[in-house]
Amino acid sequence: MKISLNHLKNYVGINVPVEELCDRMVMAGFEVESIEKQGEDIQNVVAAKILKITPHENSDHLQICMMDVGQAEPVQIVTGAQNIHENDYVPAALHDSFLPNGTHIVAGKLRGVDSNGMLCSGEELGITESDYEGASVHGILILKGTPAPGTDICEVLGLDDTVIDFKITANRPDCNCFLGVAKEIAVVLGTEFHPPVPSYQTTGGNIRDLIRVEVKNFELCPRYMGRVVKNLRIKESPEWMQKAILASGMRPINNIVDITNFVMLETGQPMHAFNYNDIAGKQIIVRNAAEGESITTLDGKQYNLDPSMLVIADGERPSCLAGIMGGKESEIEADTTDLFLESAKFRRDNVRHTGRSLGIRTEASGRFERGVDINNVAFAMDRALQLIDELDAGDIIEGVYDLHEGLPEDRIIEVTTDKITELIGVEVPDDTIVSILNRLGLPTIANGKHLTCRVPSIRDDVEGRADLAEEVMRIYGYDHIIGKPMRGEVVRGKKLPERVKCDKIKAFLCGAGAREIATYSFIGSGAVDTLRLAEDDSRRKQIKIINPLGDEYSVMRTQLTTSMLTVLATNINRKNTDGRYFEISKRFIAKSFPIAEQPDELATLSIGVVGKDEDFFTLKGLVEGVMQLCGAHTQYEVSHEPYLHPGRQAAVKANNQPAAVLGEVHPAVAAAYGIEPRVYVAEIKLDVLLAINKRKTVFKPLPKFPAVERDFAMLCDKDLPVGELEKAIASGAGRLLERMELFDVYEGEQIPAGKKSVAYSIWLRSANATLSDKEIETATAKVIAKLEAVGAELRK
Amino acid sequence: MKEKLEAIKAAAREALNSSSTEHDIEELRVKFLGKKGELTAILKQMGSLSPEERPQMGQMVNEAKQKLEALIADKKAEMQKKATELKLKSEAIDITMPAKKISVGGLHPINTVINDMIELFQSMGFDVVDGPEVETDHYNFECLNVPADHPARDMQDTFYLAENLLLRTQTSAAQIRTMETRKPPIRVICPGRVFRADEVDATHSPVFHQLEGLVVDKGITMCDLKGVLEQFAHEIYGSDTKVRFRPSFFPFTEPSVEVDVSCSECGGKGCRVCKGEGWIEILGAGMVHPNVLKCCGIDPEEYSGFAFGIGIDRITTTRYKISDIRLLFENDQRFLEQF
Repeated sequence: MKISLNHLKNYVGINVPVEELCDRMVMAGFEVESIEKQGEDIQNVVAAKILKITPHENSDHLQICMMDVGQAEPVQIVTGAQNIHENDYVPAALHDSFLPNGTHIVAGKLRGVDSNGMLCSGEELGITESDYEGASVHGILILKGTPAPGTDICEVLGLDDTVIDFKITANRPDCNCFLGVAKEIAVVLGTEFHPPVPSYQTTGGNIRDLIRVEVKNFELCPRYMGRVVKNLRIKESPEWMQKAILASGMRPINNIVDITNFVMLETGQPMHAFNYNDIAGKQIIVRNAAEGESITTLDGKQYNLDPSMLVIADGERPSCLAGIMGGKESEIEADTTDLFLESAKFRRDNVRHTGRSLGIRTEASGRFERGVDINNVAFAMDRALQLIDELDAGDIIEGVYDLHEGLPEDRIIEVTTDKITELIGVEVPDDTIVSILNRLGLPTIANGKHLTCRVPSIRDDVEGRADLAEEVMRIYGYDHIIGKPMRGEVVRGKKLPERVKCDKIKAFLCGAGAREIATYSFIGSGAVDTLRLAEDDSRRKQIKIINPLGDEYSVMRTQLTTSMLTVLATNINRKNTDGRYFEISKRFIAKSFPIAEQPDELATLSIGVVGKDEDFFTLKGLVEGVMQLCGAHTQYEVSHEPYLHPGRQAAVKANNQPAAVLGEVHPAVAAAYGIEPRVYVAEIKLDVLLAINKRKTVFKPLPKFPAVERDFAMLCDKDLPVGELEKAIASGAGRLLERMELFDVYEGEQIPAGKKSVAYSIWLRSANATLSDKEIETATAKVIAKLEAVGAELRK
Repeated sequence: MKEKLEAIKAAAREALNSSSTEHDIEELRVKFLGKKGELTAILKQMGSLSPEERPQMGQMVNEAKQKLEALIADKKAEMQKKATELKLKSEAIDITMPAKKISVGGLHPINTVINDMIELFQSMGFDVVDGPEVETDHYNFECLNVPADHPARDMQDTFYLAENLLLRTQTSAAQIRTMETRKPPIRVICPGRVFRADEVDATHSPVFHQLEGLVVDKGITMCDLKGVLEQFAHEIYGSDTKVRFRPSFFPFTEPSVEVDVSCSECGGKGCRVCKGEGWIEILGAGMVHPNVLKCCGIDPEEYSGFAFGIGIDRITTTRYKISDIRLLFENDQRFLEQF
């Protein structure tokens, strides 16, 4: 809400500099977005009298002026303008002056002649015709009257106003106007508040002879007032009104339109004027639009309406979109003679809904959406009539339509001063509380500590003691609040076990050289195609965002791999060619479609790896580390993810539950992301891992008896996974097996085609005794037998 | 004989001085002290001495032998020491050569900041809870005192998934879930992701992070709120940071305040960072609105509480002087490695 400071002074005493006013208003809950001082950027420009003009010898258009600038000696200034005469009063920018566009004027020579400044046009001073008559004239601005030479030009032009832009919070629609702000200033500064007291003369007649007004839907229009003004005398509005309107960012049009806008800015209540003679059937009906109706609004646009929208109709058609914009048909024009004036309250959600569906937002609709006060409707109407009367803009017909289904009573809050200060923790003297509330327009009667507070409808936001506490404190001052250390029983703050586990996983991955990333929770709907997921893949069941920022952010992700591939691509593209990345976030799985309840949000870990020393097995190492941290028994299986290399991928089961997929990214998918090198990704269902209850650690004594190491070298089919050999070794060695280690795999010379040589070291140990030769032999024989059973033949 | 002994001693000393290898010394030892060595030879001649002379002479020979042995040992040790020194010298390396690479990973700066805050609030007895990111209208708005037609809904552009389902616009939704499941005294924080339909630019992201704090107990006041936030500000911005409350409006708190801290850049004098104000706005807070308490089945006449919502991304960008919030979600390795 932009307000002229000069205009505010009509309502309230302001006895402090504008900066202090703004600081104090901020501390009372009114943020200041900007302070614009008119003429602030004009420096060292004065009114000056042209004493003498002589032509310039070396130029056919330059003239040399001797200027009286209020100094002892005249000053010589060269100008190119032709519209000046001796004895004219003009603005002169002296040596070392500044103009609004930032120009710095200094003394110099123009074609060899000294010029100690510059004569200015209205444009150069940043003003327009509405600021000063003649400002738009091409050439130098000729000042009216005979201002004393040397007077600051801002003073001469009346550029002495300051415009303050207050940010009004959503709970205070009553302050979205001059009077609301002025009232608060009065309380903050402790000065007098003088609101206008409307009064006006009517010229007789009876409104009921001229028009019939009817409200069909009080639900959407709780109050509707109408008056008629005849014999309009349309002309310009007075300068003070134009200045106030301009400061608030609206344009002056004519006295009638300006009065409706001014009253809206002053009282917060939007007004609408209809051209009386365009009202068909001389009826005004507040009703819902009929199916198929349309309206052409003031700005010339046509809108099709539906029955949810409220209109002000005449006898034939909608004439105004209630609370939003008037119709073209009944617009006030320069030749309009009679008008019907409306002041009303429309329900805010309906105005909001209609405005949204039609895509219109106006100064008026914004105010109705935030809420206008039902009692203020009448005040605004009276104020508008007062201005019409005072400015002699027309003849006010006797009689008023005031349609409503009852007006609300003031809200009474019974409370004690203790209850108010209890929330704040600061002792505020009882009489201070009462005084602040009364000054704020919340009439309060004290009976000891008991308060009876009457809240008028314009302060609908004040509902109970918490609101009263805020009202008191923002005036008394939040600086009175002194911080106290946390009190209460001493307890230790706890983290959820899931968070504790995730922290451990993150610590492990960081220790393994991986960087944590953060990516959006929504991705493009087409990402599942890029991953080549099958038509019936459940990850295609993505939840759509109804109002996404764009297609690339349009669905909630069901997997994190897409985001990881994007990050890998970004980095590779920027020549960050080696890296390990991970992210812990959620995948969103709908319980059903169409989505009606909250989806499952499942913790997911994604790992991505790229680099010359990286391969499937470094990724596998990271995955295994995570599994081990979570206490999972893992099992690797062949998998068939379409986005992974068909021969380099695996599915992992953790305690027999599918828990992860990892592998090298399929070259076709990598190419779709613009990735050239081999990259490796894993997607791990953390929800499965976090659910595993890790066994409690119990110390096992260190072995007392020696281990026996045996090496086994064998030949087997090239395609036989070593995992099969390991299973065979494990089952053969049984409980004696302490560990095994693969130490060689070889194909090539001396090995038959289609075969490979594999070598393991195996450690056998008993916890209870040194193994006998016989025990060792038996175990070894069993291992060999098991190995042979899976097709491995011991090399001799 | 005595003269002979002296001569041997002198010869040995001289030979020892002129020997330069361990091999020379060994030969020397054999020559003088070996079975056929010169000193041994003298001992063998002892039989020709008178019984009176014999012990005297024996002692002299033994002394000479011991002396010679010690000299040889010293010489040997000296030479070994020299050899070791020589070897170590030859093994010197260029310590300015690059290290063998052991990559150090790291958390995303957002989570580093979240973890710091968790640690701080945990130490003040706050439990850390989580809430769903897809919320119902009920938890995100209705119960937070933002009914359907309320203009405050305009303050937050919301992503909708269905009529009644949305991406939470604030971690405050978790307040309600907490109050529904726990009874006072309540002391929780809820860090997490929130979403608003903001176009992406240097200071706006549709995905960002908040940390919600909630305390409900008997007799909780705004002084308690200020005390906790002062702790927070001292931890995050330095121990001489001042905290200022400014009246504001949030539908779910009453009274509501914007919380400013004195600018850590200029100490409150006013600079470019704080736009000359001397204060930087860091979070919104207030006393939990009675309607919100009621909605969660807590009697506002008996209990009161405070809540605050901290914008993590803002604190992260301020702490590390990150100029563009988009960098946080781009995940360029050269960015990530700096934290």
